[in-house]
Amino acid sequence: MYRYDQFDARIVRERVAQFRGQVARRLSGELLEDEFKPLRLQNGVYLQLHAYMLRIAIPYGQLSPVQLRRLAEIARDYDRGFGHFTTRQNIQFNWVALKDIPDVLEKLAEVEMHAIQTSGNCIRNTTTDHFAGAAQDEVLDPRAWCEIIRQWSTFHPEFAFLPRKFKIAVTAAEHDRAAIRVHDVGLHIRRKDGQVGFEVHVGGGQGRTPHIAALVNPFVPEAQILDYLEAIMRVYNRYGRRDNKYKARIKILVSELGEAEYIRQVEEEFAAQRPGEKINLPASEVARIHAYFAPPDLAPKPAVSKTLEAAKAADPAFARWTRVNLHPHKVAGFVTVTVSLKPIGAAPGDATGTQMDVVADLAEKYGYGDIRVSHAQNLILPHVALDDLPAVYAALDAAGLGAANESRITDMIVCPGLDYCNLANARSIPVALAVQKVFADPAYEEDIGKLHINVSGCINACGHHHVGHIGILGVDKKGEEFYQILLGGRADEKAALGEIVGPGLKADDVPAAIHRVVEFYRAERASPAEKFIDTLERLGHQRFQEALYAAG
Amino acid sequence: MSSVRPRLKPETPKAVTGWATATGLSVWLTAEGAWTQDASRLGVFTGDEAEARLAAALKQEGVVTDPYFMEVTADGRISGRETLRESMRAEPALSFGGGE
Repeated sequence: MYRYDQFDARIVRERVAQFRGQVARRLSGELLEDEFKPLRLQNGVYLQLHAYMLRIAIPYGQLSPVQLRRLAEIARDYDRGFGHFTTRQNIQFNWVALKDIPDVLEKLAEVEMHAIQTSGNCIRNTTTDHFAGAAQDEVLDPRAWCEIIRQWSTFHPEFAFLPRKFKIAVTAAEHDRAAIRVHDVGLHIRRKDGQVGFEVHVGGGQGRTPHIAALVNPFVPEAQILDYLEAIMRVYNRYGRRDNKYKARIKILVSELGEAEYIRQVEEEFAAQRPGEKINLPASEVARIHAYFAPPDLAPKPAVSKTLEAAKAADPAFARWTRVNLHPHKVAGFVTVTVSLKPIGAAPGDATGTQMDVVADLAEKYGYGDIRVSHAQNLILPHVALDDLPAVYAALDAAGLGAANESRITDMIVCPGLDYCNLANARSIPVALAVQKVFADPAYEEDIGKLHINVSGCINACGHHHVGHIGILGVDKKGEEFYQILLGGRADEKAALGEIVGPGLKADDVPAAIHRVVEFYRAERASPAEKFIDTLERLGHQRFQEALYAAG
Repeated sequence: MSSVRPRLKPETPKAVTGWATATGLSVWLTAEGAWTQDASRLGVFTGDEAEARLAAALKQEGVVTDPYFMEVTADGRISGRETLRESMRAEPALSFGGGE
């Protein structure tokens, strides 16, 4: 992974010292909240419903064991023993006292972490495929490009005060696991005639006005991508709406201008860049960054492990976990493991300090020191030998992390909702947990197959309800929580926005309604191999809608 | 920090609430003028007294952040349009951090 150089380390240290001074002045009353708010937001500090929340950057979702252990320590010493992994592949602590935050940031700086640009109208954490570097279907490891974009976008003076926040996602695999088409900019790395380049999508997003991104350029050569991104950003910075925060995202600009006109303006801006202004990233620099992401030295092993097969035969729960939570690896004899942070009954995406320590230990012992955070709010061990899976599972299961539900119905993306968030209108976590209970039988869940439920507690859509196969959106009707159900969304290469199918349901009615939809799917699917989303697309929404609202 | 806060009439019973600046924890002003993390101890104010209490709270920047009026009944129970949100602030529904 990328390691800080002397400049990175100094910048982060100085930033901590600067914020320490700002906090001291705030606590003394010298700085008023209105003055302090933009300063704290630039350091990832929000004031939420119950307490301050600190959002910490995890660039492209990659962590070392040392870093994860430090997060565990912070959870124990400064929070209430847990942290919450987010859809931006970051982590949030929900109970950190402002007076302690400078100390927390100092501890983070010691392990090359920070909270810079995790808030505010700037370019946020660049996200990517959580299987990067291990996936069989990638053309190259996208993390190096994420790091290059991170370096370019961090403290970029031109893009520090954009009309609104800005999110970039990168994938290099045909199957899009990074949801690039619902990002402000989505980049798909491709090879063409031996050359690496980027398919560029712009103007995707969720929130109150969801859009699927427009394909703006099918292939920008790698040496030109930063210049092209600058052209995209400049057009947005110049013409993005600053008069109305609800119309300030780039998706609105692309929509209002029309795709063709927006593309014309980007191309014009790109062409107008003077030679001295071009970044023209040298190949040597690209190679230098790529070297940080060299794959671990994995000697191929037999594709079948006797140890693994014996353990599977002896333990059906382990066998199920291996069927559900593993992903093929590019090296024979290895797999990628999803560590589910969605055990039945726990807040989705949360991990205790002890659990973080367990994952860090496993990464060190069995996973070549590599840990990822997925945008679906799980942790990933990208490189695990088949022979080691029984030991890995045993440790995870003992720590309450043995759920076999990756991409299944209880593996929900869920925003914090009104349990934590000031913007939310309704609670997300309790309704998600109630739905989880209905599908808690692992055999039943496995039979249902892959099905994504995403839950948001308000129209801001932090729980990505627009792109869940089933989306759940909490709304407040005269002080009572109701939940609108959406069907048909997806965040992959066939990205689509779900449609609200009818009137909102009371919280108590949601689990049974979802159960009826799922049972309808099971009855109507062409075969057990046909996924929920494929059956839905084949049959159309109407009959699923009827099932949803059928008398219980 | 709610984006839209209801405007309350002078005669409407109200409490003063905000967040402790040092910790960020929710606090309520008691009838005696102290800040408490226990919403059941909140003071109920109306009219000029309420305005004076809020004005005083707004001057305590280092102690309390973003104080505002919250609608309550005469006997101090949360009421009005923001009942759901304010009830959540007063009594979190989840057992946060119960893991360890």
